[in-house]
Amino acid sequence: MSSERQENWRHLAWAMGGLVASLGPHLLRLKPWVSGFVLAICAWRLLAERRAWRLPGTFLRGIIALGVTIAVFFSYSTITGLDGGTALLALMSALKLLETRTVRDHTVLIFIGWFLCLAAFLYAQDITTTAWVMAAVWLLAAALLEVSHQGQSGPRLRPFRTTGAMLLKAAPIAFVLFFFFPRLAGNFWGAPSAERALSGLTEEMSPGDISDLTLNDQIAFRVRFAGNPPPPALRYWRGPVLSEFDGYTWARGDAQSFFRPLVEHLGTPVDYTVTLEPTGQQMLFALDMVESWTPGLARQSWDFSLRTRNPVHGVLRYEARSHSRYRAGPELAASLGNLSLQLPNGRNPRTMEFARSLRASVANDAAYVQAVLDLFHDQDFYYTLTPPGLERDSVDDFLFNTRQGFCGHYASAFTMLMRAAGIPARVVAGYQGGDWNPIGGYLIVRQSHAHAWSEIWLADAGWKRVDPTAVIAPERIERGIEASFQGSELLPGGLMRDSPFWWQAGMIWDNVNARWNDWAVQFDRGKQEEMLLSLGFEDPDWRDFGLVLGAGLALGIGLLFFWLAWEFRPRRGDPAAQTYGRFVARLERRGIERATGEAPRDFAARIRRLRPDLGVTALAITETYLRLRYLPEPSAGDLNLLRGLVARFRP
Amino acid sequence: LRFPGRFRRLLGNWIRRRQGPDRGAVTLSRGRIYILPTRLGVAFGLMLVAMLLGSLNYANNMGIGLTFLLASLGLVAMHACHRNLETLIARGAGSEPPFAGKEAVFRVALANPGGAARCEIETSAGISPGSPVTVAAGSESTVSLHVPTQRRGTIILDSIEIATRFPYGLFRAWAVLHPSLRCLVYPQPAADALPPPRAPGIAGGGATRRGEDDFSGLKDYHAGDPPRRIAWKAFARSDELLIKEFSGDAEATPVFDLADAPGSDLESRLSVLARWIIDAHARGATFGLRLPGVDLPPEPGDAQRRRCLAALAQFQAPEPDVF
Repeated sequence: MSSERQENWRHLAWAMGGLVASLGPHLLRLKPWVSGFVLAICAWRLLAERRAWRLPGTFLRGIIALGVTIAVFFSYSTITGLDGGTALLALMSALKLLETRTVRDHTVLIFIGWFLCLAAFLYAQDITTTAWVMAAVWLLAAALLEVSHQGQSGPRLRPFRTTGAMLLKAAPIAFVLFFFFPRLAGNFWGAPSAERALSGLTEEMSPGDISDLTLNDQIAFRVRFAGNPPPPALRYWRGPVLSEFDGYTWARGDAQSFFRPLVEHLGTPVDYTVTLEPTGQQMLFALDMVESWTPGLARQSWDFSLRTRNPVHGVLRYEARSHSRYRAGPELAASLGNLSLQLPNGRNPRTMEFARSLRASVANDAAYVQAVLDLFHDQDFYYTLTPPGLERDSVDDFLFNTRQGFCGHYASAFTMLMRAAGIPARVVAGYQGGDWNPIGGYLIVRQSHAHAWSEIWLADAGWKRVDPTAVIAPERIERGIEASFQGSELLPGGLMRDSPFWWQAGMIWDNVNARWNDWAVQFDRGKQEEMLLSLGFEDPDWRDFGLVLGAGLALGIGLLFFWLAWEFRPRRGDPAAQTYGRFVARLERRGIERATGEAPRDFAARIRRLRPDLGVTALAITETYLRLRYLPEPSAGDLNLLRGLVARFRP
Repeated sequence: LRFPGRFRRLLGNWIRRRQGPDRGAVTLSRGRIYILPTRLGVAFGLMLVAMLLGSLNYANNMGIGLTFLLASLGLVAMHACHRNLETLIARGAGSEPPFAGKEAVFRVALANPGGAARCEIETSAGISPGSPVTVAAGSESTVSLHVPTQRRGTIILDSIEIATRFPYGLFRAWAVLHPSLRCLVYPQPAADALPPPRAPGIAGGGATRRGEDDFSGLKDYHAGDPPRRIAWKAFARSDELLIKEFSGDAEATPVFDLADAPGSDLESRLSVLARWIIDAHARGATFGLRLPGVDLPPEPGDAQRRRCLAALAQFQAPEPDVF
């Protein structure tokens, strides 16, 4: 290969390496045909470069570009948005690869790579993604160094190392900018579009939905308590309240009410901070019964659930205060009462009939509730992770046929039985329990802690939580789902639960992630103000922010300045050479310059010709210098002599 | 960034005014290094703005962090680019006089007193860029600048740009030197000149050449004398190197005179003289030169060739060309 082709090959390899690294986090998320196409083009391009094949012309590239755009449109049904946009960006980078010949083409590839890095963060900001993206950024910058380096002369360039040193110098400045650049509150172009399907609790519940979630080990949110956490049996994290029933599925419904029933909070409050992982939905979770929460973040609707204005696409942190003892809605408005009694006509007829007869056989509503719970407890109902599927009239099928269910089945059946007997009732979805992380001192609530229970309204008592699961499987509430299904292969994280070492490691890793969420992903205006407060600013305003940012930047750039000055500092030669250098410099100021490679003796002879008056001194200096340089054991006396001679040398 | 010509000129004039002329070795101090983003640097900046707006809109902290990291990297690159030139010592390291029409070569020595290599230093004179060199820590590199010439005389190189885009090519730092480096330009040798007259400059001189047979005496050997004229016998006797002289030599040694050179004008006659000198030197002959006000007695060798051609270059020389 010619040296030019070799250089081209090197540039291409670097740029492509950076590009593939930045595509890394996307490859599994993109539709397979997109990832496959991109990788295939990369492979083809490398081969083409090796074998010196002709690259496709403008026309062919245009056709391909049009083709993939249409394909993306049909495959993603959009070409904008995060998914479609990322797919298009990845495909276009592959197409750009087909025409890379010049330095400029390679540079464009590298820039696309950086945009792909940004896109990766729009999907996930966890530690692993960040570490990967940082590596990709490093590789891309190294590729830019290699690509922008034209000469073959000089010592071999080490792009990765050089760039690493640069990034190390950039890091302090980047940290200052990151921590003190003022964050805005809210978006200025509107919220990003919701299009990601996230697994987790939703605002609908069909039979089997919750038990499916138990296989999901992902974290729903983490909670840090201001004081002691409440006991496990009281850890009911209220999510969406489901009031609409169609005979099979419970849903939140569209009912709106401006009237929020009065809540009387009793007992000591619990203060805590929730760091919620993205849900793609508007619901928030809080301990029953929430009293207050981060202002402006969410509204509490008539069923006491918290809802945000926009879907939660990023990690969200909020504070809340709850009371485990409360009296909610002693008065029930007629409209809400009707809503909480609604049942679909003609569905689940056997349950309807059964409820009516059971209600007739007891004295009051309270006795009826107890009778239903006793039914679950005494008859052969089973609590299982793998309940059988249910017919269209799901409650009938469950109560009189299968009798195997998870919490959702019991909540659904119980609520239906209440409504059928004229007691206002609804299903509450949320989480129950959580894993305590002793290393970080916080509670981890996972998707597998998803739970559903009932809430009924009784005169005087108001809305009360009734959890039928607590009757059928009390250990689920007391000690968590693992206690209910000990040794079950179905539950995730078996290894972690069984080995103390892995359990501890898992908790440490989770703690790191939690801190990462707090200080990196969720670093916001509030945290910034906290930081300024800790720096001694009282009530920081924008001027203080500017001051700290400016001072920090000055510090960072000053550090950079001295770092570079140190790197480039002159190497001290040996003292003799330095002294001789002074002699040469003095002559230079008088217009007598030592030519490149001119030997000291020749130089001395020239000085003598040009300035006979300096000749003797110049010769003495030269000879002393040469003795110091070339004698095997130069004497200290000579050095002093040389210094004295040069000091007195005034041309 | 490439500026339009007019702006470049204005910038050049401004730099010349504020720096003044340079003499001897020039240390590229902070005050004489200029730096601006390149086209790539501007594109990089625009990319960062887009990334920042996107990240802020999505309130994506890692995106913001990524943007700031790249921005800081750009800042570091700017400082590194500037540092790459700073304290570099540049000085003229001689030149090679060309014949008119060829390129003059000016040599510039770049010394790096610092402890880090200076990568990809591009030294250019006017329009012709030199290839980038890397000056290792504590060492010196010499670059050659090629300047085209048109006519004989002197050319002055008064504008040298030392620039670098290392690292990343996002910024370009440059320094301008006004060292007034001079280089002679010899007349272009005539392509087909008549041979010089046999006995130049001697009126009525006999046309016959007595040749080498007429031994006329011995003289001391000087470096450059043809070895075949060494009087070996005399050497064997006395251990002294002597040269045999022949009476034919006085007439045969050409002293090229402007008056003898054919040609319509001064320049073409100088060209003819240049051709004679080159040919005579190539033969290893002894030659001299006589111009009005210049009399170079005959001598052989490279130094004589240089002296003669320099005399031709400088004889009634036109105003020097300044680059």
